[in-house]
Formats: sequence, structure tokens, C-alpha cells
Amino acid sequence: MKKFVLVALACCAVATAASRAAEPATGSAPEGSTPASAADIEALRKQVQSLTTLVQTLQQQVKDQQTAMEKNNSAAPSLPESPETQSADVSTPPAPAPSAPPLFPTTDSSVVTSAPSVNANGTATGAFPTTDAAVTTTSTVSSSETGSSLTQPISLTGGGNKNYMNISFDSVFALAASSARDLYNVEVGDHDPQQRGFNARNAEISIDGAVDPYFEGFANIVLKLDNNNETEIELEEAFLQTTGLPFGLQLKGGQFFDAFGRINSTHPHTWEFADSPLVNGRLLGPDGLRGVGAQISWTIPVPWYSQVLFAVQNGRGGTGYSFRNPGDDGVFYGRMTIDREQSALRDFVYVPRWENSFNLSDTQTILVGVSGAFGSNDTGPHSDTQIYGGDLLYKWKSARAEGGFPFVKWQTEAMYRRFEAGLGLNDSFPVAETFDDWGMYSQLLWGFKKGWVVGVRGDYLHMEDSLFTDDLTRQTRSRISADLTWYPTEFSKLRLQYNHDSLEENEFLAARDVDSIFFQFEFILGAHGAHKF
Amino acid sequence: MKRTLLTAAFSIALAFSAQATIKVVATLPDLASLAREIGGDKVEVSSMAKPTEDSHFVDARPSFVVQLRSADVLIDGGAELELGWLPPLLQNARNPKLEVGKPGRVQASQGVRLMNVPANATRAAGDVHALGNPHFVVDPIIAKTVALHIAQAFSAVDPPNAAAYDANYKKFEATINAKLQEWGAALLPFKGQSVVAYHDSWVYFAHRFGLNIDIFLEPKPGIPPSPSHLAEVIEKMKAQKIKAIIVEPFHDRKIAEKVASSTGAKVADFAQYPGALPDTDSYVKLIDALVSRLAAAMK
Repeated sequence: MKKFVLVALACCAVATAASRAAEPATGSAPEGSTPASAADIEALRKQVQSLTTLVQTLQQQVKDQQTAMEKNNSAAPSLPESPETQSADVSTPPAPAPSAPPLFPTTDSSVVTSAPSVNANGTATGAFPTTDAAVTTTSTVSSSETGSSLTQPISLTGGGNKNYMNISFDSVFALAASSARDLYNVEVGDHDPQQRGFNARNAEISIDGAVDPYFEGFANIVLKLDNNNETEIELEEAFLQTTGLPFGLQLKGGQFFDAFGRINSTHPHTWEFADSPLVNGRLLGPDGLRGVGAQISWTIPVPWYSQVLFAVQNGRGGTGYSFRNPGDDGVFYGRMTIDREQSALRDFVYVPRWENSFNLSDTQTILVGVSGAFGSNDTGPHSDTQIYGGDLLYKWKSARAEGGFPFVKWQTEAMYRRFEAGLGLNDSFPVAETFDDWGMYSQLLWGFKKGWVVGVRGDYLHMEDSLFTDDLTRQTRSRISADLTWYPTEFSKLRLQYNHDSLEENEFLAARDVDSIFFQFEFILGAHGAHKF
Repeated sequence: MKRTLLTAAFSIALAFSAQATIKVVATLPDLASLAREIGGDKVEVSSMAKPTEDSHFVDARPSFVVQLRSADVLIDGGAELELGWLPPLLQNARNPKLEVGKPGRVQASQGVRLMNVPANATRAAGDVHALGNPHFVVDPIIAKTVALHIAQAFSAVDPPNAAAYDANYKKFEATINAKLQEWGAALLPFKGQSVVAYHDSWVYFAHRFGLNIDIFLEPKPGIPPSPSHLAEVIEKMKAQKIKAIIVEPFHDRKIAEKVASSTGAKVADFAQYPGALPDTDSYVKLIDALVSRLAAAMK
């Protein structure tokens, strides 16, 4: 811009000089009588000379400006440089002698803002205030824009847009082929593929953020399509939890998944397979063990990671599957259920858990946990249920991991359930039985290349045989699964899985083998929640 | 009996003297190195991410919760660098001292003008950083600012030793100022030249030393190199006579070697974090290594 102004100025000057030089000649010629004196000519020549010098000076200035700008451009392709850096750059000789005075710039106000200071008392709300109107630019990050704060507005889309909650939408779909016509009886989880063809069993909206300086909130709303493409909606989770309790304590309240084992408390999109393990679906329930209640947890002050959790929930309905669950059409394990109201403390479900973690080496970590779930069930007025679980996670991740790969992850969970099946509503069932059911799964995942994971899983479920209870869900069975997953980025996923199911014969059901193939695909929009270990 | 008493007394004394130092946790090894420069023997510094791994995808190992639970100061990079793993750790650590805004929390990105801030944040462009590129500590001038913030935080948390932290900062500043002359002179012959990088994490380093690092083996940040993109890169490298490709420890070096062999360029092992390259246990040594490696490759 400056260059153009200067050029224009120079042109003006030349034009003026030319016209001025011409003026006397044209002015005097028509009169013709007196020829210009030598003194006049001399004066004119001087004038022209001084104008020529002026033009030359202006030209030189234009040139200087140009070179300075070029230098500046090559030195800072993406950022305007501060004046002092510019002058330093320009004055840097091509090869400074070893004894030359320090010339390499040691400050650069184009990359750092003036250093903020700590308040005198050191207890300021912002120890390092970053909002200095004089230096703040849109590219300057303030503390609240990083999204890792528990008490500040959390970035919704980044780039300086602030919001009080993170929001994301995550959809999982599956295309299923199976030798079984009744895939819904073979698959045990509510978010698993339920029919041959396409399935949309989990589209979730997740919201989280800091409520105030004391709590943070989290909600997960799940939409799913049944086999007739009708939309079902569930408030999967909605809870608040404390952020600032002393002594390593934390309280949580609302509707939430219980911390029982590894898989129960997680959402389907984080699973390593397209369906839930048999033992989770049959002992904790197709929808997992969750409900309305409260939980306290405490990280024990020992040198390793050790945490105890204890939750109390209503345990009523389908999400309290082994507890006060009225069952389908009022029938559970063949008994008409009593669907009783809360009448005593034993009607709650109590879920304790203790987990410990150790680093075996710099790259290897294990986490072991034991869990329990205790409460009453609806098959009789005095019927109780106890579930015990143990889990183990081993993970190796390369010290040179890129995007989290390569890794090896081995996860195993085992559960035992003692279920007192009573006489049902008004003692209508002929016998009371106690079922000792147990099962486990073990899965090994190998992230062999960035974005690629191959996995195998073995499942076994033992349901105690009964002469009296014909229930499709009480069939002893096993399953072998293998899958290959490709994560193009952490926001999308494509997965191919093969399942071989063996259902064993019992008093009422014949043995059968089922082969299934699932092609699962998923996408995530919005804030991608951080992964817990 | 006497010996046990003595041992007990000794261990109690030890426990007290241990309490006298402030416990500092840094998310990344470069921040830990700066903290050690500033804290000296007054602080006990540990870091979470390994110097050789991709700092965006660190596992939230439960042992980090134990580190954070008893920390007096937490230094993180900020600018969404640790977004994928730090929030659940902080949630689980339940340490109010480390909340943003408390003197015990240093976010290195504060006071830094981030580069590469996208005008439109879209994930179609790959792994973009909506707030700007967070790999800024490799610019020594920025490192000084981060060090100053760390010194201020230490002084706020531990006022009796404020003078020591201030002195250490001044010392660090003088070292960097002197070193900058050395580094600047070593890279001056290559000013204005281009270097190819595997991933776009060297914009601040390039800016500081007047290099162009804007050709990458990755077609888009975080997207693995494709044959067609590599062919383009090779063509550009030949046309511009580019002599060096920089790779980090967690990148696929074979790909860089292949490109290097078909262009006559050299592969320079780079790293953002002290300890990732041999004999780089401090920040200054790391930059020393980067400068000398790059100068050797571009000769």
C-alpha cells in the first residue's frame, strides 16, 4: 500500500516538475520579443536538478520499502512480526563472525504475550490472568478454553466458542447375517443386533459439563429403533457428581450405570465387539445394571491406585434385571412376579466395588477389581439375589505409540449369581428353587497398526438346569467371536465380526449352533469424550 | 531397640523433609524439564506421558491418578493437547489444588499466541486443533515464557522459596538467550529453505529459525501417508531440492526412509520431548540435538 502511495507521489512530482519546466518557455514564447536571459535559464536548470534529486530519493525509498517487505514475508510466513524482530532480521548480516555481538533475537512479542503476573496474595482466581485487552487476540488461549477444567465453561466447538456443556451425538449401526431366524434370542444385550439385516440399536446424545463449582453433570439419552423401525427412547444415564470433596471422596447421584466389573459401566460405542458378553446380558441384564440411586467412592491413600465404590439403587424394573424386575408381561423365570413396592432396606440394590491398579512396567498396566450386587427379587416375598464378580484388565502399549497404537489388551470378567426363585405371586408356582448361575468371558485385542484392531473373545454361561423353569434365557451356552476393527479416525469405526454360538440342550430346549456375521459402523459428532482406562 | 527408634526418627525426619519440597506433576516431559530448571531441589517433578509416545493419545493409567492426587502443582500444555486423557484423570484425582484458576495449575498455552488456528474447525481437514497448534514449547522463546509462568506458580504455592525460583528463572533465561545465538548461527545457512516433516508439529520451530516446514508425509494431520500423496511429496522435494525429512519416534520411519532414498534427502530423527533422543535429558540439550541433527542433514 505504502509503495503505491510513494509511486503516486513520485509521479506527481515528475509531472509537476515537467509542467513547471515547460511553463516559462510556453509563457514567454508567444510574446516572442525578449529572449530568456542566461540568469533565467540557470534558475530553471537548478530547479530541474533539485526536482530530479527529489525523484531519485523517492525511488530509492520505494526500493528500500520493497526489500524490507520481501524479507519480512520470507521470515514470517504465518504471523506478523513485531517491529523489533523486523529490524533485527533486516540488520542480521548473512554470516555473523564468531565474535559478533548477539544478534539472534531472544524475544518475540509475536509469539508470546506480555507475561502476566501473579496476584500479590497468590490466591487469585486466575493465578495467570490471560485476558489483557492490550495483547489479547482471538488466537490467545485463555484458561477456560482448554476444556480440561471442571469449573469453567467448557469449549463446545473450540476456537474460542464457549458453552456450558459439551455435547456429542454417537450412532452405531449393524448389518447382521445369521443362521438363526430369532437373532433377538441369540443376542443377549439390548444394544446388540436384534434382527437379520440392518439394525440401529444405539444412537446416543451425550451431554456433560460443570454444573457449578461443586458439581459436574452428565447425561446420556439413547434412541434406538426396534425391529419394526419404531423409535424407542431411554434416559440411560443422568447424574451429577461432586468435584471438590476432601479426603479423596466423591459422591454421585441420579440415574447411572453401576460400577460392576468392566463392561457394565461403559457405553456400547466403547466396546471392543459388536455385542455384549453372554454373562453381562444374562446375569446383570440386557440393558446392564443401572438405576436411580447414589454412590460414594473413595480413593484410598496408598502408593498404588486403589478405589472403593459403594452404590445404592432402587433396582426396580428391567434395568435391575436380577432384582426387583417384574419381567416380561409380569413373568420372570416362569413365575408371576409380585412387583412389590419398596418396603424395607433389603429392597434396595447394594453395589460395592474395590479396584486396584499397578504398573508392571513403563508400558504395562493391570487393573483388578471385585464387585458385588445384593438385593431382593420379585419372584417371592422373601427372595434375594446375590451377584459376585471379578475382573482383570491387562494392557501393554508401545512406548512409541502413535495415535494409541500398537497395543495389546486382555480383559476377563467372571460372575456368579445366586438367585432365589420363589413361589411367585400368591404362591402360584409349584416350587421354590435356588439357581447357582455363573459365567465368564475373556477377550484379547491386538491393535497391530495405527487404526487397526483384531480381537478374539470366548464366552461361557452356565445356567443351572431346572425341571420346572422353561425359560429361553436359562440355557447354558458358549460363544466364540473374532473381529477386525478399523478406526479411520477416533470419530468413526468399521467392524466385521463373526460369532459362533453353541446353545446346550436342557429339559425344555434343544441344542443348537448359530453362526452370525455382523458388519458394524459408527460415527461420532461433537465433543469426543476422553477415554477412561 | 535404640536402632529402631533411630530408624523411626530418621524416617519421620525424611518424611518431613519430603514434605518441604513441593510435588509437581507435568503432563509432558518438556514441561517437566522446564519445571526442574525452575524448581531445582525445591521441587519433586514427575511427568506422565513418555517422551517417545504420541502425546495426544496417552492412556489414562490409574497410576497417574495417584500422582495427581497428592500433587501441589500440575503443569499441562493446554490448548486441547491432553483433551483425550487428562479430564478423566483430574476427575478421579479429586485434588482441588489443581483446578484451573488455582495457583497450583499452570497451563503452558497461557500467554502464547498459538499458530495455525483454523478459520473453520472441521474434522474433514483431519486431526485439526480448533485452538491452534499446541506443540509450541520447541520454540525457545516460548519456552522462556512457559518457564516464567512456572516460576510464578511455584512462588505462589511456595512463597518462602520465591527468590530461588526467580533466580533460577533468570538463569534459565540467560542460558536460552545465549544458546539462541548458537542455534541461530548454526541454522542461519539454511534460512528460507524447506524441510519435510512427517506430521505438522514443527511450525513454531520453523518460525523461530526461519525454515519452511509445510510439506508433510501425512496427507492431512493424523491421516496415514498414502502412496499417491507420497508421490506428490517426492515430486515437490525433487523440484525444491529438499534435503531433510524429520520424523518423531512414534512415526513410521520406514516411510520416511523410502521417500528419502528416492529423493536423496536425509532422515533426521526429531522429538518434541527431552529424553526421546539419546543424551537429551534436558530441554536445552534437546534443542541442541535438534539443531545439530537438522544442520547435519541439510548440509
